[in-house]
Amino acid sequence: MSHTVVVVGGNRIPFAKAGGPYARASNHDMLTAAIDGLVARAGLAGERLGEVAGGAVLKHPGDFNLTREAVLSSALAPETPACDLQQACATGLETTMYLANKIALGQLTNGIAAGVDSTSDAPISVSDPLRRILLKASRARSAQERIAAFAKIRPGHLAPQAPSVAEPRTGLSMGEHQALTTVRWEIDRTSQDELAAASHHRLAAAWDRGFFDDLVTPYLGVTRDAVLRPDTSVERLATLRPAFGGPDGTMTAGNSTPLSDGAAAVLLASEEWAAAHHLTPWAKVVDAEVAAVDHPGGADLLLAPVGATGRLLARQGLTVEDIDLFEIHEAFASTVLATLKAWQDPEYCASLDLDGPIGECPPEKLNVTGSSLAAGHPFAATGARIVPTLAKLLHERGPGTRGLISVCAAGGQGVVAILEAV
Amino acid sequence: MGRDVETLEALPPMGAAFARALVPSRAREARIPAHAVRVDGVVQDLDRLADYSRVCGYTLRDTVPATWIHVLTFPLHVALLGDRRSSVRLVGAVHATNTMTLLRPVRATERLALQVHVENLRPHARGAMLDLVGRAEVDGEAVWDGVSTYLATGMEAPGAAAAGVEREPWEPVQPIARWRLPAHLGRDYRRVSQDPNLIHTSRVAARAFGFARPIIHGMWTHARALAAVEGRIPAAHRADAAFLKPVLLPGTVGLAVSPNAEGLRLAVTTKDGVKPHVLLGVHPAR
Repeated sequence: MSHTVVVVGGNRIPFAKAGGPYARASNHDMLTAAIDGLVARAGLAGERLGEVAGGAVLKHPGDFNLTREAVLSSALAPETPACDLQQACATGLETTMYLANKIALGQLTNGIAAGVDSTSDAPISVSDPLRRILLKASRARSAQERIAAFAKIRPGHLAPQAPSVAEPRTGLSMGEHQALTTVRWEIDRTSQDELAAASHHRLAAAWDRGFFDDLVTPYLGVTRDAVLRPDTSVERLATLRPAFGGPDGTMTAGNSTPLSDGAAAVLLASEEWAAAHHLTPWAKVVDAEVAAVDHPGGADLLLAPVGATGRLLARQGLTVEDIDLFEIHEAFASTVLATLKAWQDPEYCASLDLDGPIGECPPEKLNVTGSSLAAGHPFAATGARIVPTLAKLLHERGPGTRGLISVCAAGGQGVVAILEAV
Repeated sequence: MGRDVETLEALPPMGAAFARALVPSRAREARIPAHAVRVDGVVQDLDRLADYSRVCGYTLRDTVPATWIHVLTFPLHVALLGDRRSSVRLVGAVHATNTMTLLRPVRATERLALQVHVENLRPHARGAMLDLVGRAEVDGEAVWDGVSTYLATGMEAPGAAAAGVEREPWEPVQPIARWRLPAHLGRDYRRVSQDPNLIHTSRVAARAFGFARPIIHGMWTHARALAAVEGRIPAAHRADAAFLKPVLLPGTVGLAVSPNAEGLRLAVTTKDGVKPHVLLGVHPAR
């Protein structure tokens, strides 16, 4: 990499539960709000940026140019180009790496990486047979042909199709897949509830100390993450009924992320551009790795980041002891716990062709300002929430401190990245 | 300025005034009320704001469009033009020009005090002109003001008709956008604006006022044009609009955008760009 890429800022809107305060906001609205807040804070109004990369997992067909349209609605110069990327829940981290790589190569000097998702304003589509009939009718050359096409519509075709978070190849939801992993890795209920409670308490503490003052902009009257329950406890979480894994399941609505609405954005730059714009670099982007597991061959759907973590650390000549902070996306509490167990499992790591186990993550270094269980998880936005959060945390700790981000994604994929304070 | 202020309990002020505003006046002589109407503590309805934003093409933001505040003051226009002391009625009055200034960004969560009065009744070649002057405040701070000039066709006002405002001669333009406006747009905008004027939704009412079909509200066209360039509108800005030719529904219109020394000049035109429907200027507020 010829140029050092630094994270110089970030902005998101507070996240909220689906059907909550952002029920009427679209992906376009929320992404524009996240970008505009970042532009205002960094003093970039009217500037032509190198590129904006964003994406959403649940996307309306009309939003094919979602990010470009958000740029045009934002205070950025209309000459700022944009592109849409999507890698399920890793989208916000993948857009970060896409721009970081371009900046490293000298193709750009700056850019905004972003992600957004609305599960409230999710697209509803028509059934596949009805869609085929409508397409046939639209190609019809005569009224007769059109009527013939419409005549094939059956009542069953008319049920609208809501987007699902089920894996296309297995029909199992993310939670159901994770329930299999939870059993396989023997993750108990109490550990999950403890992790969830800690996430809420740490996020609440971070809000209380003003940590998010320069990372979040209020939107539609929401000033703090609306999912956050500062007063939750292990005891209270223990009363919830299982949501996944059957009646004996250990995964509940309390230790799983809720469907969420929100958007987040990261400002990336070369060191020179940051200096010229009087922006303080928080951390540099060191390296990243994307990985996938054998799905649906029986591998744990959400453990793909484990292999990426091992390979990335080895490539950088680092061990977990060299990492000061870990940000492991809390898709489910048990995902984090299974990941940490897998890191220490010699057999599992050997099966990934790693040179021995990755090692142990001290709990006090993990998700120190909470993560998705407390903040919420608007799929594509999560990576772009974590990157500036970690960069700022590392900056607080001083130059040379390192952080690792691990994000699992649908389809048995994952992205892992390392940041280092400058 | 010593103007009496009638404070209303809430928006919209329903009742007799509302009904009267919708009945065309038979009076020849234009009379306007001398008092102002005011309503305090207006909570902006986020659902309606979201709906308004969709209908007009705005991004739903934490801060609201200037045209939205105009819409919030509109029930006060109705109250004044339905008042017994007014011989000018909302129905039959033509919105000729509109000027508004957003003095600072206004959050969707801020409570507003809204006040409107009528002034400057004057003769015009085709009737009488009058200004509805509105103002929005947050905690006593003025955040928005607007002047809506209406022409009460066929009515008389004292004085000599002033010379018409000089406009730059119109040159046909090449539109850079084409908007297809569906027949239901008038009903959609009525829902979000609460402007009950039937010429926007009823073919019969439109005919009675000399239009072949319902016409879209001038303030929709105004809002839609601003929404098309929303990323370039300064945080504090002034927007001047002249409504020259009504847009019939359903219909197709064009938009031309040209930057000038002061800001942006927008023209909503016939789809071929030959005739203007609405001309707009947007520039930073001073």
